[in-house]
Amino acid sequence: MGRSVWKGPFVDSYVLKKAEKSRESGKNEVIKIWSRRSTILPQFVGLTFGVYNGKKHVPVNVSEDMIGQKFGEYSPTRTYYGHAADKKAKRK
Amino acid sequence: MTAPGDMVCVGAVAGAYGVRGEVRLKSFCADPEAIADYAPLCTEDGAQSFTVRLTGQTKGGFTARLGGVTSKEAADALRGTRLFAPRDRLPSLPDDEYYHADLIGLAVVDTGGADLGTVTAVHNHGATDLLELQVPGMSDTVLLPFTLAAVPTVDLAAGRIVADPPAGLLPGDDTGGDDA
Repeated sequence: MGRSVWKGPFVDSYVLKKAEKSRESGKNEVIKIWSRRSTILPQFVGLTFGVYNGKKHVPVNVSEDMIGQKFGEYSPTRTYYGHAADKKAKRK
Repeated sequence: MTAPGDMVCVGAVAGAYGVRGEVRLKSFCADPEAIADYAPLCTEDGAQSFTVRLTGQTKGGFTARLGGVTSKEAADALRGTRLFAPRDRLPSLPDDEYYHADLIGLAVVDTGGADLGTVTAVHNHGATDLLELQVPGMSDTVLLPFTLAAVPTVDLAAGRIVADPPAGLLPGDDTGGDDA
């Protein structure tokens, strides 16, 4: 069963505070968070979070299409090194 | 860095398929079927070269007929062989798009010219692409977002990347705050 709508999305309060502080300062910094369960909100768009995966903080640049997902979805706890072959990376 | 003319591993032979010399082929390409487009493929030492014709699909790969492999014994002998294609056979890409094979091994320096490490892998966990850096003097690696802001310059010819990492990304730079 999904979460009741009347409660609104769940976000750990310290994540909100850190994001607000970072946005006010205007600095280009990684906001280190441990809360993988927090929902990505519209006010996080454009910020870079370092989401802990149990070992290190994985940088996550928040974009509009990530709203509503959880931070943990973008910071896997297991690493797989495949082959480079013809795989491509795009600089955005 | 992969210089033009270098080889890129695009697949491997998993074993024989049937008794008529077909092989099971694992593709490492982004589009698995593209492995046939890079043929002829050669072994790591370049001693053997094969044309590739995909004949079907199996669990986790393809069945294929390799040029010059006509018996089950010959196909079995190739089990575990990795197949390589020349780097210059990969199609050229638009600006700001790079092959992982080109990025891996590049030296990374900051805007002041200080050495930040070497690219060891490229990941994508759903957000932006990430460069995994091996920082000198550190056993652990660092992930750098592959964005225009964090990586303003990629110079493949010079074999280096100029990075402007956000504060708190590199070890010893804890402005991101640890107060949970």
